Amino acid sequence: MKFFLLILKNVRRNAVRSTLTAVGTMVLVFVVTLVWSILDFLDKVTAEKTDNLKAIVTERWQMPSQMPFPYADTLSDGAARHSNDLHPIDSMTWQFYGGTIDPAKKTIENIVFAFAMEPEKIGTMLDEIELNSLPAAKAADLRQSIARLKEKRNGIIVGREKLTQIHRGLGDRFTVTGLNYKDIDLEFEVVGIFPDGRYDKSAVMNRDYLNAALDSYQRTHAGQKHPLADKTLNLVWLRVPDMQAFNTIQQQITDSPLYASPAVKCETASSGIATFLEAYRDLIWGMRWLLAPAILMTLSLVIANAISISVRERRLEFAVLRVLGYRPRQILTLVVGEAVMLGAGSGLVSTVATYMLINHLMGGINFPIAFFGAFFIPLQAIWWGLAIGVATALAGSVVPALTASSIRVTEAFSKVA
Amino acid sequence: MIMTTADLALLAVTRSTIAIWIAGAASVALLAALLLGVKIPLRYLVRNLTVRWRTTLMTVLAFVMVISLLTVMMAFVNGMYRLTQASGQPGNVMVLADGATDESFSNLIAPDIADIENQPGILRENGKPLCSRETYLVVTQPIENPVRGRPQRRFLQLRGLDDSAMTGRVHGLELYPSGSWISDAGVREAGSGNGDPASKKNPGPPEAPIQPLVEAVLGEGVAHVLAADKKHGSNSASAPERLDVGDTFSLGDRRWIVVGVLKSAGSTFDSEIWAKRGMVGPMFGKENYSSLVLRTAGPTEARTLKDYFNSQYKKAAVLAQVETDYFENLSGTNRQFLFAIGFVTVVMAVGGVMGVMNTMFAAVSNRVKDIGVLRLMGYSRSQIMLAFLLESLLIAMVGGALGCALGSLVDGWTATSIVSGAAGGGKFVVLRLSVDLQTLLLGFVLAQAMGVFGGFIPAFSAVRLKPLEALR
Repeated sequence: MKFFLLILKNVRRNAVRSTLTAVGTMVLVFVVTLVWSILDFLDKVTAEKTDNLKAIVTERWQMPSQMPFPYADTLSDGAARHSNDLHPIDSMTWQFYGGTIDPAKKTIENIVFAFAMEPEKIGTMLDEIELNSLPAAKAADLRQSIARLKEKRNGIIVGREKLTQIHRGLGDRFTVTGLNYKDIDLEFEVVGIFPDGRYDKSAVMNRDYLNAALDSYQRTHAGQKHPLADKTLNLVWLRVPDMQAFNTIQQQITDSPLYASPAVKCETASSGIATFLEAYRDLIWGMRWLLAPAILMTLSLVIANAISISVRERRLEFAVLRVLGYRPRQILTLVVGEAVMLGAGSGLVSTVATYMLINHLMGGINFPIAFFGAFFIPLQAIWWGLAIGVATALAGSVVPALTASSIRVTEAFSKVA
Repeated sequence: MIMTTADLALLAVTRSTIAIWIAGAASVALLAALLLGVKIPLRYLVRNLTVRWRTTLMTVLAFVMVISLLTVMMAFVNGMYRLTQASGQPGNVMVLADGATDESFSNLIAPDIADIENQPGILRENGKPLCSRETYLVVTQPIENPVRGRPQRRFLQLRGLDDSAMTGRVHGLELYPSGSWISDAGVREAGSGNGDPASKKNPGPPEAPIQPLVEAVLGEGVAHVLAADKKHGSNSASAPERLDVGDTFSLGDRRWIVVGVLKSAGSTFDSEIWAKRGMVGPMFGKENYSSLVLRTAGPTEARTLKDYFNSQYKKAAVLAQVETDYFENLSGTNRQFLFAIGFVTVVMAVGGVMGVMNTMFAAVSNRVKDIGVLRLMGYSRSQIMLAFLLESLLIAMVGGALGCALGSLVDGWTATSIVSGAAGGGKFVVLRLSVDLQTLLLGFVLAQAMGVFGGFIPAFSAVRLKPLEALR
């Protein structure tokens, strides 16, 4: 304990140097935490699960996938045709509807992009907001929103950030001029707000509303179908219990004669996302192996610089400690301990502050990779700060500490004399 | 006069360029002023840095890290900007279906196309309008020899064309020698001296007819990407760096043969596969055209034609854009990356400034007596302050120069990315990292700024020392 207090006193002794080193550490840990949070999320979504996994069914060759809506029912059932065929645990269909609330000014703020889907699937199939995994209060709110979306066909559930962008609130109405479905302009009423997080910029509408609008297009256009009428189903999500079930259902879908034109493919969600991320391969590589290591190295240098200055200034003090009976190992521990205390403390403070700032004040990191709206700092990142601080402090202080521990008493005193 | 997005972007780029050059000039002027204005011998200052070489080296290395990272990140964004700025001809007008935010979502029907290309203002060659009818698709390709742990598929960009030679002329693109444009049929018999080893070695059962090979013209970038599959498969160093005329690959349910490679480096066409529209449309389920690109006499005529289609042309609902504007609008991702880079650099620079401050504070505290002597010798407070500031700037200059040199090593490297605009869509691209003079200047300016910020407070603390107290 005395030794610990001695380390603490030493850290406090040169307040300016300690503060500068701590601030340097904090800002650099801040950047590493941001980078690693993005990489951590991407690693998680592309990691193959072995149980309770999701599969995506899309058009086999083309992107964006555009399948005829009649595929929806059978695909949602995993193309099960025989009594002994396997059925997925759950499913969800996605149709994309995008438009602008101001046709004269098509800015990103004015664009509303909605997933048209079955309302009841919001609480069972959308990642991170499954009703059984949300806190009770949030789950109750979402349950109410879903019920309202079922009741009101023109309802829409919107993320908080998107609502702010379009200057609307709960209960407000607005009209969207269709961009991907030309001439399909829809009026919406905001019936719910997504729990804060991943869906802050997203919106979900009732798929029946979009399909009814496409049907009515035919009635109002002399029986002529909308140009995209046969291409409205974009994705079908299936939940399967394990990899074996996935393989069986994938085979059922591939073998089915129902999906010939266009052909479809079934893959695990992680595999689909990994394919999409392939375009960002070099960018992700750069973040992982260039940016983060370079920042860590800079951090080590900042700490090493501070510690070596400190060691050089305290040569006489270390010589006195040796005379008083301190062993080289103890002096080494003293120096390394100072660095680790400084690094670990400021690293931890930095990640806690980063977590609060990004997740609670900024609503995530907006980084243009793939279709992910915003990236959040995972809770475990708080320990990254501690680990980064300790590791870089160790790396930066080993050489100065060895110098301090191997100091020659006679040499140090002779310089004074 | 109404300014277009391209004009505004150009203006922004011009402003930032001017700002960087002004900052660069200011940095050089500051350094020169310090070198000329400091009366304390430069040799003394340099010696102080070399005596404490370990601390100096570590501070320099921190600068090297920050500046080299900035250079690499800027090289990436430069590459993206160059792609979007170099793609497209200022005299071309691109026509999409009205409401389509990108060519991926556009649908134009043949009768409308025929009418549009016969409007006045479009250049003609041998009586034919200089127009390119195009169907743009993004398709998935199962990778032939996937690397373990990497995705099994990739997205490829396919452009179905009625007349590839005409498209080449409209877009100003040429083929490498020995290549040819796609034939009218768009297919070539398998095994007819086309170099397709697959069809020769494994022609299939005798009764099964061998499907003809689909002719393709490849962008240079995608030719490299597809060659990498063969490299992984054969695990041989002799595998080609890029696919060339006569090579084959699989896409959809068919084998394809390369008939030409585009000299397309530096444009988004570098990552595209061109083929006969009559083949790819039915194969991938996109029967309509996605865009029509029209060649006019020049930029002014292109703007006039664009305005005509958007306001006066009533036979079909279309959206016309000058081609360079379309590609400029794809720089939305570039701007986001630029912002991210700016943010990361500033935060890292703060870390670097803390490092140099530590060094300079230590320099001041180690030389308290020196400062006292210098004051007694008649050097003014401001001279001492400038001397310390110059020391800090010397560290910054060396670190900045080394950082720029290290970062410059990535110049010319290729990387994959996506360029896209605010309204969706986008293109998968192979870009070339580019370290230009502006990037180096930016690195130099940042290093100097870090030096000034890091050195100023310690230098200021040095001048507050009283000579006699300092000597005690």
